[in-house]
Amino acid sequence: MAILQIKDLHVAVKDEETHQQKEILKGVNLKMQTGEIHAIMGPNGTGKSTLSQTIMGHPNYHVTQGDILLDGESILDMPVDERARKGLFLAMQYPAEIQGVTNAEFLRAAINARRPKDDQISVMDFLQELDQNLELLDMKESMTERYLNEGFSGGEKKRNEILQLLMIKPSFAILDEIDSGLDIDALKVVSRGVNSMRSPKFGSLIITHYQRLLNYIVPDVVHVMMGGRIVKDGGPELAKKLEAEGYAGLRDELGLKIDLVDEDD
Amino acid sequence: MNFDYSQLKTQFQQTLAKSNEPAELTSLRQAAFQQLKNAPLLKVTKFNFHNWPLITNQVQSFSLSEADLQLTDNEQVKVTVNPQVIAVKLPNSLKEQGVLITDLVSATRKYPQMINKYLATVIRPEENQIAAYHTALMNLGLIIYVPQNVQLDGPISLTVNFEQQRTTNFHLLIIAGKNSRFQIIDHLIASQQQETPLTNFTEIIANENSEVHFSSLDHLSQKAPAYYQYRAAIKDYAKVDWAVGLMNECNTVGEIDSELIGEGAHANSQLIALTANDQQLGINNRVTNRSPHSQGLINQRGVALGNSRLIFNGIGQIIHGAHGSEAEQQNRLLMMSPHASGDANPILLIDENDVEAGHAASVGKINQDQLYYLLSRGIPRHQAQRMVIRGFLSAVITAIADRDVRQKMVNILERKLKENA
Ligand SMILES: Nc1ncnc2c1ncn2[C@@H]1O[C@H](COP(=O)(O)OP(=O)(O)OP(=O)(O)O)[C@@H](O)[C@H]1O
Ligand SMILES: [Mg+2]
Repeated sequence: MAILQIKDLHVAVKDEETHQQKEILKGVNLKMQTGEIHAIMGPNGTGKSTLSQTIMGHPNYHVTQGDILLDGESILDMPVDERARKGLFLAMQYPAEIQGVTNAEFLRAAINARRPKDDQISVMDFLQELDQNLELLDMKESMTERYLNEGFSGGEKKRNEILQLLMIKPSFAILDEIDSGLDIDALKVVSRGVNSMRSPKFGSLIITHYQRLLNYIVPDVVHVMMGGRIVKDGGPELAKKLEAEGYAGLRDELGLKIDLVDEDD
Repeated sequence: MNFDYSQLKTQFQQTLAKSNEPAELTSLRQAAFQQLKNAPLLKVTKFNFHNWPLITNQVQSFSLSEADLQLTDNEQVKVTVNPQVIAVKLPNSLKEQGVLITDLVSATRKYPQMINKYLATVIRPEENQIAAYHTALMNLGLIIYVPQNVQLDGPISLTVNFEQQRTTNFHLLIIAGKNSRFQIIDHLIASQQQETPLTNFTEIIANENSEVHFSSLDHLSQKAPAYYQYRAAIKDYAKVDWAVGLMNECNTVGEIDSELIGEGAHANSQLIALTANDQQLGINNRVTNRSPHSQGLINQRGVALGNSRLIFNGIGQIIHGAHGSEAEQQNRLLMMSPHASGDANPILLIDENDVEAGHAASVGKINQDQLYYLLSRGIPRHQAQRMVIRGFLSAVITAIADRDVRQKMVNILERKLKENA
C-alpha cells in the first residue's frame, strides 16, 4: 500500500505579463492511498490543474508553503522523472505532441526507465501487453507506430493517455479532465481502462467537471475545490448534488467569499 | 585563403603534364586554375573560414579511379567509391534504357559532348576561389545520367569513403533527362585517421519536367575541414528535393543552392546539422526564383552542442519577372549548451511584387512542454532530451527517402548526443 499526502499546500505561478507571483493554491490538504479512487470537482480556474501539475513537479509551479509526501517522504525536491518512477502518473489535460518518436518507442522507453538496465522488457512481452491493452481500449494497432500524439484527435489523445497508464502501471494516477471532449462510447472505453487498473496497488485522483464520468468510475471520495482550497469532502452523492445545484449554492452554504468565473455581478 | 600559389602552380602543371586525361578535362582544369588567384571566396554571412586549410598542395595526381561496372539482374543500383575503386552495380534493365553511371574520365572519353555541355556549368570555376581550385584539381569524380523519360523505382544508393591519405576534391555530376525521375541516396564518410581536407561538389541538371530527389547522410570525421558546394539548375516544371543531413565532426562550410531557372520549377531544400565540441559549421541554403510560377522552399534545422558554432543562412532571392512565384523558408536552431553559439539568418532579396514569400527563424532552447511530458512518464532527462531533439529534426529526417538511412541518421544522432551529454 502507498500513501500520497498533500499538506497545507500553497502554490504560486509567475504571471508571464506582470512577472509577479500569483498564489493559486492556498492551503490544500488531501490524503489518499492505493486502493482508493478520489474525485476532485470545482469551478474553472480554481486550481485543479495547478494541483496536479504541482504534484507531478512542473517547473512553472512554485510551492511556497506546505508539502507533498509519498509514503511519508517529501517529493518536493525530486525531479519530474524521478517522481514518475516513484509511481506518480499524470494524464494531462493537453498532452504534448512529438514528431519523430513513435508511440511504441515512447512506451517502451517509459517502461524500461522503471526497470534495471540488465532486465529491460523483451520485445515479445512488450507487444503482448500492448496488444491486450489496445484491445481493451478499442485502439487500432497502427496508433502505436504513429508519432507520439501527433495529429491525434482530441479523443485519441485521451485514449492514448490511458494506454500509457495501463502500460506504465503507476501507483497513483491523476487524471485531469480525461473525459473532456470524449463521445459517449469513448467515455465508456476510457472508464473501462481505468477500472481495469483498480486494485489494492492502485489509486487515482480524477479531476472532472461532469458527474457522468463518476457513474462509470465510481469514486470512494469526492472533493470540491474552490478558490484554491478543498472546501468539502463527501461520497459519490456529493457529485450528484453539485451537478444539480451548481457551485454557487455550495459556496453560499459554506459562507465562502469566492468569485466564480461565470457568475454575473 | 592561405596557400602557396607558385608552389601549387608548379605542382598543378607537373601533374597535368603526366596525366593522360581527355583534352576536354585538361582545358577545363587549365581555365579553372587561371581563376584561382583572383576569384573571391564564397560569402557566408556571420561565418569566417578565411584561414581554413582548404587549399593544399597535396594533389599529386588526378588519376580518378576508373569505374568498375557490374551488371546485375536485381533492381538495386549501388555505387561504392573508395580510394581503390569506383564499383558500380547497375541492373541490366537500366543499362538498356541508357542509364549511365561511371567515373568522370571514362565519361569524358566516351561522351565528350555531354561533358562539355554540363560539367562545371552549374557551378562555374570563376565564381569563387574554392570552385576554381576544385575544378582545376578534381581527383575523384562520378557522373549519373538518366536519359529522358526514364523513371527509376528504387533509389540510386551511393557510398563514398574518403579514406585516402590525400586531399580529395570530389565531383558528382547528375544529369536528369526530360521527364526522368529518380532518387539518389548519398552517404559520405571519412574517419578521424584522415588528415586532409575535402572539397565536395555536386551539380544537378534537372531538365524539363524531371524529378530528382537527393538525400544524403554525411558523417565526415577527418581532422581537416570540408567544403560543400551543391547546386541544382532546375528547368521548366522540373523538381529537385534536397534532404541533407550533416552529421560531420569536422569543420564544414558551404552552400546548397537551387536555381529555379524554368517556369514552374520547384525546389525543396531541407537540411539538418548537428555540431559538437569545437566544431564550426556555416551553411548557405539558397534558392533563387528566376522564372514565373516557380516555387522554392527552405527548411533547415540545427542543433549546437558543446563549444560549437552553427550558422544557417537561408537565402531566398526572387528575380524581377518571376511573377507568381513562391519562396518560403524556415531556419531553426537549438542551442543545447551555454557555450555554443549560432545564428539562423533569413535573407530575402525580392525584386518582384507578385509573389508569395515568407520566412521564420528561431534560435532557442529545447521545447519544454515536450520535455516535461516525457519526464512525467519517467524517462530520464538525457534520454528525454534526445527524443525531443529528434522530434525537432524529424521534419527533415523523414524527408530522407530510405528507411535504413533514416535509422542510420538517428543512430548517429543518438550517439553524438550521448557523447556530448
Ligand atoms: N502557468 C501559469 N501561468 C499563469 N497563470 C496560471 C498558470 N497556470 C495556471 N494559472 C492560473 O491559475 C488559475 C488556476 O488554473 P488551473 O488551470 O489550475 O485551473 P483549473 O481548476 O484546472 O481550471 P479548469 O477547470 O478550467 O481546467 C487560473 O487563474 C489560471 O489562469
Ligand atoms: Mg484544468
